Formats: sequence, C-alpha cells, structure tokens
Amino acid sequence: MCETCGCGNTGKEKTGIPGKKNKQDHDHDHSYTHEHDSYGPHTHYYDDKKGKEGSHDHSGKQVINLKVDVLARNNAIAAMNRRFFESRKVLCINMVSSPGSGKTTILEKSIGRLKSSKKVYVIEGDQQTRLDADRIEKAGAQAIQINTGSGCHLDAQMVESAVKKLDPKANSILFIENVGNLVCPSRYDLGEFRRVVIISVTEGSDKPLKYPNMFETSHLCLINKSDLLPWVDFKMDEFVTNAKNINPRLELITVSAKTGEGIEKWEKWISEAAIQTNT
Amino acid sequence: MHELSLAEEVIKIAGYEAGKNDAVRVSEITIEAGIFCGVEIDAFRSALEMLTEGTMMDKTAINIQRVNGRGFCSECDKEFEMNNRIDTCPVCGSFPSEIRRGHEFRVVSIVVERNDDKD
Repeated sequence: MCETCGCGNTGKEKTGIPGKKNKQDHDHDHSYTHEHDSYGPHTHYYDDKKGKEGSHDHSGKQVINLKVDVLARNNAIAAMNRRFFESRKVLCINMVSSPGSGKTTILEKSIGRLKSSKKVYVIEGDQQTRLDADRIEKAGAQAIQINTGSGCHLDAQMVESAVKKLDPKANSILFIENVGNLVCPSRYDLGEFRRVVIISVTEGSDKPLKYPNMFETSHLCLINKSDLLPWVDFKMDEFVTNAKNINPRLELITVSAKTGEGIEKWEKWISEAAIQTNT
Repeated sequence: MHELSLAEEVIKIAGYEAGKNDAVRVSEITIEAGIFCGVEIDAFRSALEMLTEGTMMDKTAINIQRVNGRGFCSECDKEFEMNNRIDTCPVCGSFPSEIRRGHEFRVVSIVVERNDDKD
C-alpha cells in the first residue's frame, strides 16, 4: 500500500512529508480517489465503471460520463495531508471566521499556554502581508505565511507545500489560520482533524443561518470577545439555538482573547482532540 | 470568489478526460449543483467562459442541473425535501439532523469531439 496516501499502489515511496522527495517515484494519479473523511454527505464521486461508459453517436461527438466531484483533486490532496498528520502525530486544526473575529489574538493566547507542553506551528493565510505570521512568531510558535493574493481561501495544495517547509515535529499542534471569510473556506478540506469556526459578539446572532456551510462543517464554535457582551446587542441564546439547528453536533465555547475568559476550556478541548485523534 | 478556483478545477477535469480520449474539443460540460453547494452559478459560468476563451473549451455549452436539498429528521426517522437551508421537518418541525442531498457540485458528463472524427 502506498504509505503516503493509502492507495493500492505498491510504490517504493517512504512515509514523509506529503510530496516531499516522493514526487519522482510516486507519480500515480490520485486525482479521483475515494475520500471517506471529507466534509458533507458521503458520496462516491467517481464511479470507475460509470466513468468508462459513454456514448459515441458517430456525429464526431462523444459523451463521457464522469460524476466526479469538482473538488476531487483538492480532497485527494487533503486526504494525503491527513495521512501525513496521522503518521507524524500532528494535531491539525483549521481555524475559520469572518475577518476581525480575533483568530490571531486567540492563537497568540493559546500559543503562550500550549508551548510549554507541545511544539506549536501555524500556517497563516491572508491575502496580503506577513503581519499575522510576525505576531504568531513573537508569541512563540513557528509560523509560515501564505499570501493568497486575490484568493479567498486556502486549499489543500497550499497547505501541503507549507507543511513541507514547516516539517512539523511529532506530537505537535498545527493551527491553520484560514483567510478571513465565512463562505469560501467551508468548501475546502485541508486535511485537518478539526475545524473551528470563530465568531465575535459584535456580529449578529443570525450568522449560522446566513452562513450555514461554515457552521455545518465545523466541530467547534468559539464565541469570542465575550468581554464586550455588556455593550452589544448580541443574543447569546438565540445564537446558540441557531448554531445547533444548523449543526446539532457543534460544540460551543465562549471566550475572550482579551481577558482570558474561556481560554482554559478551549485549551482542554484541544487536549481532548489530541487524545481523540491519537496525536 | 471561489467560483474562479472551481472553474479551474472543472477545466482540469474536462481537459484530462479530453486528453485521454484524443479529443480536440470539449463542446459541452454538464454540472450538477445542489442548492446548498455554496456556489454562485452566474459567477461560476462567467469564470468558466473567461478561462476557456481561445482554448479547446471555448464557447462550450455549460449545462447546470440544480439538485434540491434533502434533510433527514432523526425524530421521525424520515427524509424530507428541502428548498431552503432553514426548512424543517414537515411532520415534527425539527431542523434536519443531517443534510443528505444538496451539497453536490460535480461534473456529471462532458461531450468531446474526437480527432478521428474530425478528419
């Protein structure tokens, strides 16, 4: 079995960073692999038998039936990333939110507390600048900045190449701070074990209904900036109900990156995730 | 604007299949798009048209098949049709515990023109 991606190929490739040094001797096509871990409903998006069918109508045209997920390639790379994280025992967490919810500040706080027990890495996704990566490095984690330019999300391939450069140690934590955007990143599996959506109390309590995909595909929701609750109209009960209606399995933790409220609970959630994923 | 990246993926899939079949042109692409897929169809069409200009997929017909949503109610142990993400079970009024259909965004089929038929 291929040790990198788990496919049936018995190539001579070694376990390692996805793609690293494997490229030349690992050239079989993973484009349409079958991903059991992907988000959303389970679909067999590439049916080999169906794929071979097709009609040839002698007018020079041929119909090729595919039924292939448009993101099949991304999902295949994400699966390889996940297998790498599994084998290296790296707890990979994808952090998603609108811009300005406090992702970086939460990470700064978390790194300060986590770094004594585990090595922490961060992949920073922003359209421009390496301001966030600088902040993260100051907080004590090794960071790599991805600038997407006009791109609105990170994809599995960007994460794959960032991981190659980071080369994370065993039993570490890798946070991916996605581009601030509550829409596009929800479609892209990066190979993470857990997805965390962050919202702040300065946003509306109807966010889960307006942007359901992000809440639906997340494991945890951090409700940040709780220190501002006395001054804003955020309706906590309503928000929790909306979020649970969209995703009944979603866990929620109220935090304030500023005062430190709830950060201990968030830290505990991370430790539990590490146990659950054997990382 | 992930529609642009999605259009690029469609081109890669169609291009790969066209190459495998010695095609000289892709004249039709049929996409299945669930109503919860989160893709702005008009933006996706424009992106695909823009990216395929002057290529073997130039002016390819883009057929979009919309797929309705289907939720599962664990209270009633039944599936129900959904037209909106906030639709609830028609029997008990609960939100679906699972969305079973509506997220799809797939290339269903393509139509290619073969080299040997061109001559």
